[in-house]
Amino acid sequence: MARNCIVVNVDRCTGCYSCEITCKMENGIALGEHWNKVVMVGPFGEYPDMTRYALPTMCQQCEDAPCVHVCPTGASYRDEEGKVLIDREKCIGCKYCMMACPYGVRDWNAASKTVEKCTLCGHLTAQGELPACVKSCSTGARFYGDLDDPDSDVSKELAKYDPADIHTLEDVGNHPSTKYIMTSMHGEWKERV
Amino acid sequence: MTQANMTRRSFTKSVAALGAVAALGMGAARDFVAVDPAVAAESGQTTIVKTSCRACIANCAVLAHVKDGRVIKLEGNPESPMSRGGICAKGMAGIQALYHPNRNKYPMRRVGARGGNDWERISWDEAITEVATKINEFSDKYGSECITVSTGGGGNPHFTNIPRFAAAINTPNSWEPGCAQCYLPRQGMAQFVYGSGPDLSFADNNGRDYYFNDSEVTCIVMWGTDPSNSSVATGGRAIAELRNREQGLKTVVIDPRFTMDAAKADVWLPIRPGTDVALMLSWIKWIIDNERYDEEFCREWTNMPYLVNPETRLTLKAVEAGLEGTEQDYVIWDPDQNMPVVVQYPFNEGVKAPLFGEFEVNGMTCKTGGQVLKEACEEWTIERAADICWLDADQIVKALELYTDPKAHSGLMQGVATDQTPQSGQAALAALELEFLMGNVEKPGGMLQRFGLAPIMEQLGMAPQALSKEKFLKRAGYIEHKGLMYWDMAFIPDIMKMMIDGDPYQIHMWIERSGNKHAMLGNSLQLEKAAPNVDFIVHVYMYPTAFTRMYADIILPCTEWLETNLVIQQFNTVMVRQAVTHLFETVDEGIIWSSIVKKCAELGNEHCAKQFDPATAGGMPLPHDEDEKIAQHMGGLPISWEELCEKGVYEFCTPDEFRHYYGYKDIDPATGKPAGFGTLSKKCEMYAESVVTLGRTGMPWATSAEEPMVLLPPASEDYEPVPYYVEPAESPLNDTEYPLVITNGRLPMYHHGTLRNIPYLREIYPVPELWINPVDAEAYGIQDGTWAWIESRRGKTRGKAKVTTCIPKGVLYQERFWNPEFLDAEDPTPAFTAMNYNVLTKTEAPYNPEFGTYTLRGIMVKVYPCPEGAPEGTWTEPADFEPWMPQPSDPTKKVF
Repeated sequence: MARNCIVVNVDRCTGCYSCEITCKMENGIALGEHWNKVVMVGPFGEYPDMTRYALPTMCQQCEDAPCVHVCPTGASYRDEEGKVLIDREKCIGCKYCMMACPYGVRDWNAASKTVEKCTLCGHLTAQGELPACVKSCSTGARFYGDLDDPDSDVSKELAKYDPADIHTLEDVGNHPSTKYIMTSMHGEWKERV
Repeated sequence: MTQANMTRRSFTKSVAALGAVAALGMGAARDFVAVDPAVAAESGQTTIVKTSCRACIANCAVLAHVKDGRVIKLEGNPESPMSRGGICAKGMAGIQALYHPNRNKYPMRRVGARGGNDWERISWDEAITEVATKINEFSDKYGSECITVSTGGGGNPHFTNIPRFAAAINTPNSWEPGCAQCYLPRQGMAQFVYGSGPDLSFADNNGRDYYFNDSEVTCIVMWGTDPSNSSVATGGRAIAELRNREQGLKTVVIDPRFTMDAAKADVWLPIRPGTDVALMLSWIKWIIDNERYDEEFCREWTNMPYLVNPETRLTLKAVEAGLEGTEQDYVIWDPDQNMPVVVQYPFNEGVKAPLFGEFEVNGMTCKTGGQVLKEACEEWTIERAADICWLDADQIVKALELYTDPKAHSGLMQGVATDQTPQSGQAALAALELEFLMGNVEKPGGMLQRFGLAPIMEQLGMAPQALSKEKFLKRAGYIEHKGLMYWDMAFIPDIMKMMIDGDPYQIHMWIERSGNKHAMLGNSLQLEKAAPNVDFIVHVYMYPTAFTRMYADIILPCTEWLETNLVIQQFNTVMVRQAVTHLFETVDEGIIWSSIVKKCAELGNEHCAKQFDPATAGGMPLPHDEDEKIAQHMGGLPISWEELCEKGVYEFCTPDEFRHYYGYKDIDPATGKPAGFGTLSKKCEMYAESVVTLGRTGMPWATSAEEPMVLLPPASEDYEPVPYYVEPAESPLNDTEYPLVITNGRLPMYHHGTLRNIPYLREIYPVPELWINPVDAEAYGIQDGTWAWIESRRGKTRGKAKVTTCIPKGVLYQERFWNPEFLDAEDPTPAFTAMNYNVLTKTEAPYNPEFGTYTLRGIMVKVYPCPEGAPEGTWTEPADFEPWMPQPSDPTKKVF
């Protein structure tokens, strides 16, 4: 099964919020709701050795996704390609998945009264295009593809780096697929933010 | 809602029919035109139109998806060699800006007194006739200099339009709050001492070598600039690419803010705002003392070895030295012969002329240019600079070691920060001198590059020779601050004084085109004393602002970037900006100016009648219409406008042809010698004697319709040929009442005063953050996330505290802000007073001698808690911005 996900090169990211607003424009997301949110991390440490970086967050495409486990209706599911998705028709709005998600990257759609999240822009990738946030990223910091395919954009970008410079958000057994590249050149990675 | 949820609204007949009275702001949202059935027919087809963004000055290439005449989606266009498919939050907001419910849609006339909010729709013909009639009446009654015209950097402007329009109606009093406070000092100084076009402003499309992934650059100094904020998808992108190459990139960031660029830097120098020149002088001294300069370049390609006449303070000429030669011949010292010799351009073979020292020549003691510079820096040890600039001496040296490493390929880029203090000219000069010293000129990996120019006219030219000499001599502030003439602009403090006191003459009419003068003009509370004295005020913009609501008598609606045509050079390409749609009765500002001038002429204004004929229009005729305007922009491009629109991005030369190094060594066929630089001496003028001449005479920028060279009286004091440091007039070294220094600086989601009405951007950054160091927060009782008052000697305003070590102790930071949500309030004043940095800033003396810059950064304030918080009616929660969500609308026919 494929492991499609977003990979972010934090060394390249400058925190411009393009991905956040691009996602909202592409997916018609209401004010106050987000599938993709840029979190500013830091500063921590003392001058002159301070760390500050931008951390774009979105569904981490966990290999063992708690949201899928807790969903009482099967609305949160893994599709045949391995992507974690939400079937709006089946969502009853119980929000268990929002509580189960370790990263707070699911959001409540107040209009439809269902939970929503990043779809990896399946409507675009099905047409052979990249997810909107990847395509429009101001600094070329976002990548999309299958971690198991060595020719994918994500694998090729990750291959450029030492494994010590490749991180995930804190893994509590859910094994997030999304990887963040951050070298010590730009500071110290924080697993929990 | 957003494009995915857009539904075709049912169109009602416009509620704001001609003559009906309506309020601005929300009221105008219902103001739609009846749809043209031919356009409205739903084809279901989506076409992709290639254009380029103008949400800031970066011009990123954009693909606009258009369905049934409506823009439904924007993407970056990967064909751009600079943005490479990237598009930032401001660009992505283009649809929300285009279809904003509060667009100015039709010409409107105020009904009743200023201060109210009643407006009536009028026709364009009526509006243009009224404006033209007023111009002619005021010109006849008081002289055309009583009319002032202004612009500003944000929101799809065409900079040169304003001085061109001013010359066309024969007023010298054009101005903008950028100019002397943004880019003019850096560009003007580069023009004088380098003369070859480029300068050190990365955000203004310089540093073009850095867009090549194989650039030899190894180290970049970012002095008061933050490409990650100021040119997100072009310059920010380029730096991100360079940093992430295998060989990496060393960077030094000099900025009081711990910006994203500072966070990724090898050395961050959090300098005290307003003291940059002190640090620059210490760098020059350290480079000279440690012999890190490029001796050969300095000797042969700068005027450092040229002797200076102590009496004239200009370079010594052959005739003054008693040598055979002319008044144009420069003199150096030949150590072998122990005597002065005339410079044989490019340089006397084998002569090791000293860069430093003083020599007896013809009864005078003459220093070299280099010696004068060296003495100017003498007191600026690293320790003294560290003390004045609040920096760590070891960190300064670490930065210098990176920048001057003999194995490095370095460049220095300089941002707007230093343009916003009275030392703007000195900072611009000192930064260029650092690059000259290092020989970082037109070489691989360098910042200063004279790469190819496209045969187009992106900015339609100004026409100083369309202005009569009599009016030119009446320009506000022109004698003291002659550098303003480079952009044909007047001195703002004098314009304000004229409005307030009528001294030396009263301003009766004001035509203003910018986002919000209340937000961008320094000490903006002064408008309350100035604007009411102006009899007639026209505001040209895309949206109503605080200025419109409070002072405009007529509103003329202009186009958003998605409705605009232009050609733009990006690198080795020319990119198109083409009108993707056209809404309501908006008009391109250039055509607005032409239409007004044409109408003035029709009504008998003889000066205006000359403005369309190349022979009488100062060489820059106004275009009659959009087609003529496009033809002017296209210049000598060998393809048609239609072809360019189709292609979107056109390569006018190959990247290799474009990337031409060492242009100064090219042989000039006319002389058979190297071309040199665009200065009088063809050298980099380390000793900036042209600046001295400017101050004394106005040369080479003083010109008029009758005389191509007008000789002006001297400024009260000489402009200095070498940099010097002056402690800010308001300084923490002696201010006990207002103990903290404050500065402003860019954010990635706004540009100047624009986009505070864009829902998706405001929800990211709803109110301005006041950055305060934890030590100061503790001392002044400010808690993170609470509101604070910030008070200066001019006024007070609020900010939402962010307690952070991103700003050093003793320094505060808050970006400029205003609140369009108050425009429809009975009292709209909070729109510009609630949280506006510019009610604090200082436009009184001292000013920069050359450019007249006042003080926008590095002023003194005090802070204290503001328990009452933001004023009632401030929008802070995402749902608050719902009324501003886009209201898609069908295209309309062009007005002119």
